[in-house]
Amino acid sequence: MNMLETRELTKVFKKSVTAVDHIDMTVREGEIFGLLGPNGAGKTTTIRMLSTLTRPTSGTATIAGHDIIRESKQVRQLIGYSAQAAGLMEAATGRENLKLFGRYYHMDGRTLSKRSDEILELVDLADAADRLVKTYSGGMRKRLEIATALIHQPRLLFLDEPTLGLDIQIRVNVWDYVRRLAGEGISILLTTHYLEEADRLSDRVSIIDRGRIVTTGTPAELKGAIEGDAVSLRLPWADAGEQANTLEKTATALSGQPFVRKILPTHDGVNVYVDRADEAAPQILRLLEKEGVAITSTTISRPSLDDVFIRYTGRTIDEEATGDNGNAGKEG
Amino acid sequence: MDFARDVWYTLVRRLRIDLRQPVWLFFSLTQPLIWLLLFTQLFKSIALMPGFPTGDYLQFFAPGLIVMLVVFSSAYTGFDIMVDINYGVVDKMLVTPANRYAIIIGNILNAIVSMSIQVLIIFGISSLMGVSIETGGTGLLLTLVIVWLLGLAFSGLSYALVIATRSHTALVVVSNMLTLPLMFLSSAMMPQQLVPGWVTTAMKFNPVNYAVEAVRPLFVTGYDWNAYLIALGILGAFAVVGVSAAVLAFRGFGK
Repeated sequence: MNMLETRELTKVFKKSVTAVDHIDMTVREGEIFGLLGPNGAGKTTTIRMLSTLTRPTSGTATIAGHDIIRESKQVRQLIGYSAQAAGLMEAATGRENLKLFGRYYHMDGRTLSKRSDEILELVDLADAADRLVKTYSGGMRKRLEIATALIHQPRLLFLDEPTLGLDIQIRVNVWDYVRRLAGEGISILLTTHYLEEADRLSDRVSIIDRGRIVTTGTPAELKGAIEGDAVSLRLPWADAGEQANTLEKTATALSGQPFVRKILPTHDGVNVYVDRADEAAPQILRLLEKEGVAITSTTISRPSLDDVFIRYTGRTIDEEATGDNGNAGKEG
Repeated sequence: MDFARDVWYTLVRRLRIDLRQPVWLFFSLTQPLIWLLLFTQLFKSIALMPGFPTGDYLQFFAPGLIVMLVVFSSAYTGFDIMVDINYGVVDKMLVTPANRYAIIIGNILNAIVSMSIQVLIIFGISSLMGVSIETGGTGLLLTLVIVWLLGLAFSGLSYALVIATRSHTALVVVSNMLTLPLMFLSSAMMPQQLVPGWVTTAMKFNPVNYAVEAVRPLFVTGYDWNAYLIALGILGAFAVVGVSAAVLAFRGFGK
């Protein structure tokens, strides 16, 4: 049985903003599933619907066979929800936070004490368990927050942007914990706008853009779909006219060349997809020079999820993923 | 059963946090203490006027002050849940199988408990300053019943406002705008016989006034069951309105 299944799941907010647009998605038992997309793509709304916080406008979703609306009580027992926001009581200790949420899952005192110790151990907070949360560092808070979502041993964990706004070292640290959890057999649905995060953690990834899922597959499959290496060229242009002109000249110079598989414009140049970038790059540079196209810089890369994202949406993810790292944790 | 249990856990965790920061309890008492000292000095000579029900203003004002304390303290209780909403704690509670009404009721009950503690402290201080309660321990208990109903009503409305608007500012503006007029349009500070006719009329529509009128005889003259039962009915209905408003606002949360 699939852990999670959605059919045509849709959320339309007031003023007819379609945040999530007929999403079909499946999370299998025991897998880490990544939902990758820029801010505003509908990731958080999807998670909020699946965790029974927001009512879908239409469509259905089931968790371990239970309908999220009709059987919300069973669903709540099965899921854990780790939000972007801190979600912790600052004036309580780590252990008290865990225990309160455990009480809400109607765990009895003894089981709860035992499970609290276990889970504090798992996220390496055993030593800090009886300190007030307000004395915790950012990484400790995030680990405790994830722990509170796990206290009742859910079968499916939602992780909404688990590393948003965290420093890179802490981010790597959180990744380790997520993998450790997956090792315990729990299924995880994770949203992120960090391509690297989706790539490293997920067994399968869906790319979501403007409320729609544009493609789904394993990171390897998705990268395979790109076919080949990318030669990224940064091209200098001052305005839209020059940009169009430059892009046209680039296309003229390169299209029809047998080794070129695809040419895709980016926000500051073009990506040329080829079989072997090391051989193709010198030729590309020569051809462009002949056509009179100036080049600011050249980068050669193996296919990444970045390329997959561009391939399916026509944009790089960073164009939209700016401006919210600063206030991470303040929005719901 | 689950409902009662969820209310209990919500209440206990809030109390535990509050008790850990007793400084807030004292902080919330400074305002009533200032009134107690200031008003009794300011209005000292009013008690000498003919028609004033007691010979001593402090004895007259103490029951009014208790009601005032409840109104002011409960009007701002919405702040508590605002913090939880902003920190995402409420969301995390709502994804658990806990009864969602129990969560809001537990929060309101916590406000009632801490308010009762404040009332008892202010009562103790007034006693030390010479205020007596005519009807003794029973009267104090009857006073607390009125305090609870009034507290349920105002903290319910305060929660409803904050949950519906998600705004600190709205709560501050509305509470500031309403609390003082509600006090001045009651007999908390000035006996009904000494205020203009239109104010007496306005008092009839002010639930706060019924609370003052029910509590003061318990302190000053002895049982006035007529006033007490009327207050019980009106404040009971008002409490139902306040708590329902909070519950309804909370039900719409996140939709």
